[in-house]
Amino acid sequence: MGTSDRLDRIREQASVGERDAREPTVLAAVVLAISLLLLSPIVWVLIHAGEMQTGRLVELVVSETTRSVTVNTMILISAVTASSVAIGVPLAILTVQTDLPFKRFWTVTGALPLVVPSYIGAFAFVSAFGPRGQLANLLAPLGIQQLPTIYGLHGTVLVLTLFTYPYVFLTTRASLISFDGTAVEAARTLNHTRWQAFKRVTFPQIAPGITAGALLVALYTLSDFGTPAIMRYDVFTRMIFVEEQARNLDAAAVLSLLLLVLAMVILLFESRINAGRDGAYVSSGDRNAGRIRLGYWKLPALGFCATIATLCLALPVGILTLWLVRSAEAAPAGFSFTLSHVANSVGLAAAAAGLCVVVALPIAYLSARGGTKLSLLPERVSYVGYAVPGVVIGLSLIYLALRFVPFLYQSVIVLVFAYVVRFLPQAVGTTESSILQVDPSYIEAARSLGFGPIRSFRLVVLPLVAPGIAAGAALVFLTTMKELPATLMLRPTGFETIVTYIWLVRGAAYQGQAAIPALILVGVSGLSMLVILRQEGR
Amino acid sequence: MDLFSQAYPDFTVDYRVESSSSLANTIEEEYDAGATQADVFMSVDAGSLGAVANAGATASLPSEALSAVPSSFQDDQSRWVGFAGRARAVPYNTTQLSESDIPNSVQDFPDASALQDSMGWAPTYGALQSMVTAMRQIRGDDETRSWLESMLDAGISEYDNEFAVSNSAANGELAAGFANHYYSLRVRSARQNAPLALYFTEGDAGALVNVSGLEILDGTGSAELAGNFVRHVLSSEAQEFFATRTFAYPMIDGVPPVGDLPSISDLNPPDIDLTELADVSGTVDLMRDADVL
Repeated sequence: MGTSDRLDRIREQASVGERDAREPTVLAAVVLAISLLLLSPIVWVLIHAGEMQTGRLVELVVSETTRSVTVNTMILISAVTASSVAIGVPLAILTVQTDLPFKRFWTVTGALPLVVPSYIGAFAFVSAFGPRGQLANLLAPLGIQQLPTIYGLHGTVLVLTLFTYPYVFLTTRASLISFDGTAVEAARTLNHTRWQAFKRVTFPQIAPGITAGALLVALYTLSDFGTPAIMRYDVFTRMIFVEEQARNLDAAAVLSLLLLVLAMVILLFESRINAGRDGAYVSSGDRNAGRIRLGYWKLPALGFCATIATLCLALPVGILTLWLVRSAEAAPAGFSFTLSHVANSVGLAAAAAGLCVVVALPIAYLSARGGTKLSLLPERVSYVGYAVPGVVIGLSLIYLALRFVPFLYQSVIVLVFAYVVRFLPQAVGTTESSILQVDPSYIEAARSLGFGPIRSFRLVVLPLVAPGIAAGAALVFLTTMKELPATLMLRPTGFETIVTYIWLVRGAAYQGQAAIPALILVGVSGLSMLVILRQEGR
Repeated sequence: MDLFSQAYPDFTVDYRVESSSSLANTIEEEYDAGATQADVFMSVDAGSLGAVANAGATASLPSEALSAVPSSFQDDQSRWVGFAGRARAVPYNTTQLSESDIPNSVQDFPDASALQDSMGWAPTYGALQSMVTAMRQIRGDDETRSWLESMLDAGISEYDNEFAVSNSAANGELAAGFANHYYSLRVRSARQNAPLALYFTEGDAGALVNVSGLEILDGTGSAELAGNFVRHVLSSEAQEFFATRTFAYPMIDGVPPVGDLPSISDLNPPDIDLTELADVSGTVDLMRDADVL
C-alpha cells in the first residue's frame, strides 16, 4: 500500500513536470488568439491606406501640415507626460508616506479628476478663463481688459495634464503602498540621508509604477481629440477628424498609420525604461518606511493639494452648475434627457469592464510569469488599441462587422468589443502589477500539493490579485462611461447614452442642456473611483 | 420627431443622429456590403447627399415632392430633394460696423479696412467648406487658394463652430464672421437686444444657399412609406415648422421665411449645382495647402 502510494505520487509529480511544459503553450495559444482579435482594426487601416495613390500619399505625408502636426503632437505629449509626473508623483508621496492631515480626503480628490471627460474639462476652462469667460467678467471692473489667452499649447497642456495626471497618481500610489519599507530603513542605517535613500532605494522600486502611469498618459494624449480641438491646438487627431469629415477615408487611414508609428515609438521608449522589471517583488513586506514628518512643509503641501483639487474638480463642477442655472433656452422637442440614457451608459460600461477583466487575466498572467521575451508581446500589443483614436476604431469595426459578422452589425456586442480594444491596457496593467507582487513560493507550494495549474491559480493567486483586478475593472468602467467617437458610430440605432446626448445638444449649440447629464456622468463615475481607492489600502 | 408621432400615432420611426459625413460614410460602407440599414437619409448638407447619390445608393423620389421645390434646390438627376434652406451670411456687430462697411462680394473682404483683424470663421465646419467648394467651382482652385491666404493675412480668427462665431459677433469680440443665417437668429432669440445683424453678399460663393435635404435609400423595405414621408416634409405644416422653429428657409411657395429675413427670391445665390458640393476632399486638400486647416 505504502509503496504503491509513493509510486503514484512520484508518477504524479513527474506528470506535473510534463503538464508544466504544456500549460504555457495553452495559455500562449489563448493569448495569441485574443491578441489577433485585438489587432483586427488595424486591418482596416492597412487596407484603406493601401488604396491611396502613391503620389497623393507622398504629398500627404511630407506636406507642411503633416510635419507641423507631428511636431505639435510630440511637444504636447512630452509636456503633458512631464507635467503629469510632476504633479502625480509628489501627490502620491504626500498621501502615502507623509503625515499630511486629511490624507484620505486628498487621496480621493487627487484621483477624482479622472472621471471628468477631458472635453468637458476643456469647456469649463474656456468658460472660466476664456476671453469672455467668468474670470474676465470678474476682472473687467478692475480695469483689466485683456487676459492672456487660454487657447493654444499651454492651455491644452494645462487641461490635459489636470485630467490625466491621476493615472500617474494611482499607479505610483500602488507602487508605494506595496513597497517594502525595510529596504529604506536599511539604507538609513547605512548612513544615507533621506534624499539619498529615496534616490537609491525607493525610486528604482517605484519607477515601473511611474512609467506605467506615464505611458497611459502619453497614449491617452496621443489619441485624444476633444481637448485639442476645443483649445485650438492642431494635433494628429484633428487632422484625422477633418479627413474623415471630408469623407477622405484613405487619407484618414494613412494619418492613422503615422499615429500608430508614433505610438509604437512611445511603447518602445517605455520598454527600455522598464527593462529590469523583475525586481518588483522584494519580500512580503507590509511595513512602510517611517512616516516622513512634514513640519513647516505642511502648509505648502496642503496648498498644493488644494489648488489641484480646486482646478480639477471645483472648477468644472462650478461651471456646469453655472450653465444649469443660466441656461436661457429651454430644450426644444426631441432633446429630452431620460433615465434610459443613464441606464444605457452604465450597462455598456459595466459590460466593457467585465469583459476587459476576463480578457486581461490571461494576458497579464503570461506577461508576468511567462519568463520569455515573447510572452511580453501580447501585453504590448494591447496598448496599440489604446493609442488609436476612437474615430478610427469606429470606422474599422463598421467595415469588419459588415464583412465578417453582419448579423452583429450595429449591435451592442460590437460596441463592447470596441471598448475592450480601446481600454484593455488599463485592466492589464493593474492586474499584471498585482500578479507580479504575489510571492512565487505560494504557487509552488500549491503545485507541490498536487493542485493542477488552474486550480492553484484559482485558490491561491486569484484572491491575492482580486484588488488589482477590481481596480482595473473600475478604470475601464469610468473611461468607457466618457468615451464618445466609437460610441457614436457603433451604437445600435436608437440606443442613446449620456455622452451621445451631450454631444447632440452641443452640436446643436444648446450647451446649457448638457449640464445635468455631465454632472450625472461625473457622479456615477465618481462612485466607481471610490471602488478603486478602497482596493488600495487593504 | 416627437411632434410627428403626436400627429401620426401609428407611425413609428427609429432614427440615428450623427454628423452628416459620418452617416454618408456609414451608408456607403453598408451599400458596398449590400446591407443598407436605413430607409431615408436626411442631411443638413447637400454635399453628403450628393456623395451617397453618386455612390448609387439612392432610390427614386415621388414626383409631387420634386415638383414642389425649385430646381436649384434639388439634385439635377432628381436623386435628392431639399426641404429647408440655409443661406451663407455675414453676421456683424451693429455697434462696430454699418452695412456700408461690408463689401458686396466676399472676394473683396481681405482688402476691406473695417474688417481687418476682426473677422472669424470655423474652417472645420461643413458649411464653410461647402462655401469654399462653391468658390472653387466659380473661380477655380488658384484664385480660391489665394483668397484663403489673404483672409489669413487679414487676421481672421478660427472658431470651433459657427454658433460661436455668431455669438462672438454679438459680444463684440468680432466685428463680423462667416456663418449660416439661422445661427444669428438663434443668438437673437436667446438675447433679445444683441447688436447683431445679418448681411448677405450678392452672386458669389458667400451668398450660397445650401439645403438640408433628404433622399430615399436603395434597398429600403418601405418605399411607399418613405415616399409619403418625403411628401409630408414638403407640406406647408412641416415647412412652417422649419421656418419658425429652426429659422430655416422654407422651400415651397406660400410659406414665408420668419422675421426680417429677406425672402429667397431677394437673395442672389451663385448659379451652381448643389450636388457638386460633394467634392469636399478637394476642398480640404486646398485648405490644408493654404494652411487654413
